[in-house]
Amino acid sequence: MIRELVKGLGTTLRYMFKRPVTVQYPEVKRPVRERFRGRHELKRFANGQERCIGCALCAAACPADAILVIPAENDPANPRSPGERYAAVYEINMLRCIFCGYCEDACPTNAIVLEHQYELSFYDRRAAIYTKEMLLVPPDKGHGEPPPILQQLNRQPSPPAKIDL
Amino acid sequence: MSDVTLTIDGVQVTVPAGTNIVDAARQAGIAIPVFCYHPRLKPVGMCRMCLVQVGTPKVDPATRQPVLDANGQPVIAMMPKLQTACTTPVSPGMVVKTTTEEVRFAQRGILEFLLTSHPLDCPVCDKGGECPLQNLTMGWGPAVSRFDYNDKVHFEKPVKLGDLIYLDRERCILCGRCVRFQDEIADDPVLGFDNRGRNWMIISKSDPPFNSKFSGNTTDICPVGALTSSDFRFKARVWELQSKPVVCTLCPVGCNLTLDMRHDRLMRVMPRENAAVNDIWICDKGRYGHRFIEAPDRLTTPLVRRNGKLVPVSWDEALEVVADQLTLIRARHGGQALAGLAGPQLSNEDLYLFQKLLRELGSENIDTGIGGPAALPPDEIGGWLAPGPNTDLSKLGSGTVVLVIGADPEEEAPLYMLRLRGIAQRGGKLVVAGLRPTKLERSATQVVRYRPEGELAFVQGLLKAALEHSSRTATLERLAGWKELRAALERVSLNNLATACGLTVDGLNQLAKDFLTASQSLIVYGWEARSAGPALTEALAALMLLSGRTGTANNGIIALLPGGNSRGAIEMGVRPDAGPGYTPRKQRGLDANGIWDAAREGKVRAIWLAGVDPAAKLPVARAALEAAEFVIVQDLFLTASAEYADVVLPTASVAEREGTYTNAERRVQRSRQACAPVGESRPDWQIVAAVAQALAMVPIGGGRNGPIPVTTEAWSYMVAADVGNEIAAQVPGYAGITYAALAATGTGGSWGRQFDDAIYYDGTSYTNTEGVGLVLPALASKGTVNLTFTGKVTRFADERPMLLLEQVLAYDGDRHLRGSKLQSLIPRGYAAISADDAAKLNIHSGDRVRLISAAGEMVIPARVLADVPNGIILLPAGLADVMAAEIETGPRTRVNLAKVVTE
Repeated sequence: MIRELVKGLGTTLRYMFKRPVTVQYPEVKRPVRERFRGRHELKRFANGQERCIGCALCAAACPADAILVIPAENDPANPRSPGERYAAVYEINMLRCIFCGYCEDACPTNAIVLEHQYELSFYDRRAAIYTKEMLLVPPDKGHGEPPPILQQLNRQPSPPAKIDL
Repeated sequence: MSDVTLTIDGVQVTVPAGTNIVDAARQAGIAIPVFCYHPRLKPVGMCRMCLVQVGTPKVDPATRQPVLDANGQPVIAMMPKLQTACTTPVSPGMVVKTTTEEVRFAQRGILEFLLTSHPLDCPVCDKGGECPLQNLTMGWGPAVSRFDYNDKVHFEKPVKLGDLIYLDRERCILCGRCVRFQDEIADDPVLGFDNRGRNWMIISKSDPPFNSKFSGNTTDICPVGALTSSDFRFKARVWELQSKPVVCTLCPVGCNLTLDMRHDRLMRVMPRENAAVNDIWICDKGRYGHRFIEAPDRLTTPLVRRNGKLVPVSWDEALEVVADQLTLIRARHGGQALAGLAGPQLSNEDLYLFQKLLRELGSENIDTGIGGPAALPPDEIGGWLAPGPNTDLSKLGSGTVVLVIGADPEEEAPLYMLRLRGIAQRGGKLVVAGLRPTKLERSATQVVRYRPEGELAFVQGLLKAALEHSSRTATLERLAGWKELRAALERVSLNNLATACGLTVDGLNQLAKDFLTASQSLIVYGWEARSAGPALTEALAALMLLSGRTGTANNGIIALLPGGNSRGAIEMGVRPDAGPGYTPRKQRGLDANGIWDAAREGKVRAIWLAGVDPAAKLPVARAALEAAEFVIVQDLFLTASAEYADVVLPTASVAEREGTYTNAERRVQRSRQACAPVGESRPDWQIVAAVAQALAMVPIGGGRNGPIPVTTEAWSYMVAADVGNEIAAQVPGYAGITYAALAATGTGGSWGRQFDDAIYYDGTSYTNTEGVGLVLPALASKGTVNLTFTGKVTRFADERPMLLLEQVLAYDGDRHLRGSKLQSLIPRGYAAISADDAAKLNIHSGDRVRLISAAGEMVIPARVLADVPNGIILLPAGLADVMAAEIETGPRTRVNLAKVVTE
């Protein structure tokens, strides 16, 4: 009886001097892997233009039917994206999304990227629908390079002719 | 033609001689990829995609006998090079190989070359998803290209070919399908090739660019996204669309349409194959003219006038007001104080219930349309003598005589132009007679052009000549007025008639003989013929009856009336003189013009307008509506007539409801619901039924006209099919035309989405799963023709030098065209005059002219057109800014023409 008690407390004592495996979330956040699939972002090019061309291939690829794209025609004088077409409406229902990353695979311009943000909680279902304004990165956050994940996989997406990735 | 047996990839197939290898392979279930070949167009062999190996049995030159091998089989001599399967006709014993490595090598090469200049912007291309180039590249193409991606030829994109079509030259693979469609089928050769080499491109040769009423079809048959529709530009991806089958109500052809919807919104309109009606084509009016269903100014709630203002109310309130007022007026002034006008675009269900309710209330004052000086009595001839069941214009060719008189099919019913042209192309005889040149004349085998005074002479001459060749007068003898007509014909000599219409006696005799002896004969007439007066169309009816084939398939008269369901309106009894199915009423009611007069005199107190807007066009109607005690306007929009309305009821558009429609050939077709009704709008038949229900609930206050005879039980229709069943049971001629029967009428042709269609005919391969409609059993076949020969011709109020004719335009002021891309193609009002007449008065296009008739005068810009005959002024009365009623004295008017001189 005593032996068992000592043995058990001994284990406790032993672990008191080891580094804990848990972290104090939310004060401490565990870093995620490079290829972690979290909340989506719609990227921009270095010149501030939206990468998304409204082709809706992400919506077609989405197994959960979480994406809504309603395209429109660019104003040639002031285009929002390269080429003739842009997404007038782009919405992702985060309650439906299963974070499979198929949208990212389907995207011909690397516009949609599943980033590392995973804190997604809502008080009502409406709030779970992320609009284009919420998904699109700020204009100064644009960059011309494809994201590392695609470089790593050496994938060459077939881009529209006018788009220089 | 004899059949030919050949072997394709080891499969023996027997096809008619003259078939090409692509079509033969299709019958054998083998797909030969094609780009430029299209079964509706002549093969040209431009794209080289269909290359196959072809061999024929070796023939001994000495004996002319096939050489046999050791096994007794014929030795096949393969041609040294690959052949294009689309331009090679089959021959007996031919052996075709479509899957050998040689063929595969060629196919891969062709696709690799086609893709060298293709921008690969599939993600933004509207064709993506239904693109033959995508499909063929996946199925037959090489996986990689040896050409540098950055070495593509780029053109500025897009080029606007008119307001309807955009051309993206870098996507074009130069198959020439669009050019050939315009040349061969549409007869608008406005497209062509320009430049050469890598700058080879499609251009529009016309001004305004791509001036054709069928231009939208080129976007369907384009095998890449080079031609796209401005109406569907970047609206949605094709795989996101839900296709809903409806019937076009914009003209009497009744084309089968597919409304491609997304999220309950209309994205685009596509043709739905129906070989007997529209094949795989539709006109631009049908394709682009359906934006009215999503117009922002659609009515969404019932409105009732309170203190002089229309205020939104609930349906219950609105119906109560309607029921109370109708009951009150009926009790005070009798049923004849009520009147109703319905539009010719409503469905059979709407029209049937509309007249049923008014007649139950004791009113015979029912008419279609708005009246006005140019209004004509309901056209009975096109109903009694319509072609019989199984009519299919696409099958007609050699042995057919078609007489087109006083019609401009391109404007009045655009698809009929393609159908009639097709008959002539297949070897039929197409006689186009008229006062002025029309586009159909270019396809005609014989053109008859007469002066206004020769028009009746031509038809009477034909009839007189036909009487000498035919003794089938038994039916005619029974008809009232025939003896007088025959006597009148005997009084004039054929020679005089021939001289009057500018033909020879032999010419008339030959034409009459051809018409009578043909294996099929059709007569098509339009507004111009009808405006000459009943005498002209009656003579045509007599001519048709003399052929003795009336009422059988492909024989009969097709009358082109304004509005999509004008024939249905007449058949449903929306007319003052007859009930449903041409059954005469004991008491004749007032027609539209009679209603206007009676309303101003206080005899008609309540007017119900369903889908018509008389106030926009007729001053007399405005006065009548002002005078009327109670006006109900039932419409899609707040029309000009709604200004006078006491109650406005919002109706659902054709896309938002079910219904059946009867086209000019008396083909009944079913249209389905494509989306939810806008706001609280309801289908017209539901509104009429709801009004009837409300009437039955009104507490009866007695009165000299007794209680309302309407009962709730008799008016409890749940769905449109209930009304459809009642029509089938009650309307003579409609027996058996139930919704179930209409849905079970096949898939509409050879096209369909067959095993390999997705691969090369995408965009047009819309299977018709909703049935192709039924042509009603001909009324004439039972020998029950009930026509009267009145011999009336249009009289003029006085004699003036110029003849004013209304011109029907496809793109007119129809309120259904609002919000569409066609708006820019609708001309401003004009009066078209001939160059000679213009020169006499020193008038140039754009000058303002004054037209003076016995009824009044009007000032309008002139348009000098080469194809207007001297002495005739064409006035497009359908345009919103042409108030033809101001000067018209009848269907035709005599006017003075003067130039307005401004200081």
